[in-house]
Amino acid sequence: MAVVRAPRRLALDRDGIFLLLAATVIIAALTIPAFRDPANFANLFRQAGVLGILAIGQTFVIVAGMIDLSIGMIAGLVVVLSSVLLNGNAVLTLPVVALMILVGAGIGLLNGVLLNTLRLHPLILTFGMLSVLQGAIFSFTDKSVGRTSEPLSILANGDIFGIPWIAILLMGLAVGAHFLFARSRFGYHLVAAGGNPESARRAGINVERIRLAVFVISGATAALAGVLLAGRLGTGYPLAGNGLELDAIVAVVLGGTLLSGGRGSIWRSLAGVLMLAVISNVLNLLGVSAFVQQFIKGVIVIVAILLNQPRGANA
Amino acid sequence: MTAAATFPRKGVALAGASRHAIFFVLAAVYLVGLAVSPAFAEPNYLFNVLRQIAPVGIAAVGVTLVMILGGVDLSVGAVISLTAVLAASVMAGNPGNIAPAILVACAAGLGIGLLNGVIAAFSRVSPFILTLGMGVAVMGLTQMFTGGTAKGIVSPGFREFFNFRVGGLVPVLALALLLLAGIGLFIEKATTFGRQLFLVGTNRAAAILSGLPVRGVTIAAYALSGLFGALAGIALLARSGVSSTVAGQGLEFQVLAAVVLGGTTFVGGRGGIAGTVAGTLVLVIAFNLVNIAGLPHQMQLIVMGGIIILASALYGRISERVG
Repeated sequence: MAVVRAPRRLALDRDGIFLLLAATVIIAALTIPAFRDPANFANLFRQAGVLGILAIGQTFVIVAGMIDLSIGMIAGLVVVLSSVLLNGNAVLTLPVVALMILVGAGIGLLNGVLLNTLRLHPLILTFGMLSVLQGAIFSFTDKSVGRTSEPLSILANGDIFGIPWIAILLMGLAVGAHFLFARSRFGYHLVAAGGNPESARRAGINVERIRLAVFVISGATAALAGVLLAGRLGTGYPLAGNGLELDAIVAVVLGGTLLSGGRGSIWRSLAGVLMLAVISNVLNLLGVSAFVQQFIKGVIVIVAILLNQPRGANA
Repeated sequence: MTAAATFPRKGVALAGASRHAIFFVLAAVYLVGLAVSPAFAEPNYLFNVLRQIAPVGIAAVGVTLVMILGGVDLSVGAVISLTAVLAASVMAGNPGNIAPAILVACAAGLGIGLLNGVIAAFSRVSPFILTLGMGVAVMGLTQMFTGGTAKGIVSPGFREFFNFRVGGLVPVLALALLLLAGIGLFIEKATTFGRQLFLVGTNRAAAILSGLPVRGVTIAAYALSGLFGALAGIALLARSGVSSTVAGQGLEFQVLAAVVLGGTTFVGGRGGIAGTVAGTLVLVIAFNLVNIAGLPHQMQLIVMGGIIILASALYGRISERVG
């Protein structure tokens, strides 16, 4: 991932997700006619968009050796807040989106500051933050409020030449994130800080600042995802963000990123997102009930982390 | 030399303070309650509070055992939902079915706990994510079983028994909480298994090297957590009588808050059930104070999240200084 690379070869633990995704797509396309429909593909990408943005943020966090369980609730809070503030007013779209991203980044900053000053385990800290944010959402409203604006609705649901806007946005974001991740000093330090914080610190890297930065990135991407989620739903549904943090973590883990940090790639995380989207799409096409799908999702979480354990000493 | 001589003593004093901190907090919170509302002086109200928190307290006893070991169990909320619905369904309104209903619910909780334990013991996965995932899967199973609505009918006599007030004062449900906490305390303090929990939690590698049955202890701890989760589900059914699919949803937050508040940290090897019981009481008093203050019910979530963060930070600081 760094500037100096080993010769590229296909490794199952590194590229496994691409092979798995390709195999699943081919099998699904061969066996389910409805899956082959271009409209279904567009739909699939639309479904993957929100989760993709969340997974990009979570990749930064996890590679830094951290984890952020508060992103689902940040997205949920933004869904409600943005819908109330916009209330269908298209003119306000840009300022509200900017404000929401600031709110998300602010919550991320708070996570980072608390983490660094209280020296808490990120799981506990962000789990507590999840509860606080959920309480904030429910104190604000327990039913759908407000209305998203036309431009957001188009961005989240519309497409151009058959390509969903949200997919284009996601790709742009991914390219930027990949550059930041694999081609910048920040990315280099990020991988070092996640792989071994102590040696990174001794090499002069400000690990605390890296951690602060990844939580800000995570909060900001979660807010962006929340704005788009509001666009998809059309209204401020207070439960919209519930459980999204787990989906994002599973996508990253499916992509082969170790939860212990120091390794990972944006593209593999996005492949993990597509894998989850394809599974959910296929289950929908097969008419599997939402309850069975939830069960399957839990099983996927467990199988994914079991497949993704550190192997050997250098893992 | 003098610094070296005084430091350990300061450390011991701090360790003592940290071990008992929650009891001072409990006393302080209770006094605040007393100052705010005269109801806190009435035994009737206090036992009612105990009855109210029984499901969370019972589940927290099991989760404490897992967290002493250095693990965590976030699937308890889902286990509570599943077992409450299962028990109500087996009862089907027939008083003769109460015993089998309790057995089936306990078996289900034990089974899920065993599964958690086996995976945690034979792999190196994060127990946090593992049990979150297990919670999602169990939630799915529960919904598949119920079709997404309430299911089952509570037998006549079941709720009456658990809510009966012994001597016109103490609800059986409150007694059940105290009894189960006592059993947990016995397991923790008086059995080899209890000792082993602390040893594994303090230093897993050393425990393996010393030949402790680390895998067996891990499996047993998670199994017990599942079993206590099932008992909590039965307690919830007895308290509310409602066997809805989502009865236990979110309870894992309250359980975790109670355990962490009680001084059992996320890193393991520390804390205990006595602290958890006190933590549970602090939590329920805090909830009641939120209500008395006229704040919306949802503010409880904020209070709880704040408690999880602040209590962890505080205990982390204290144990860091002790070393």
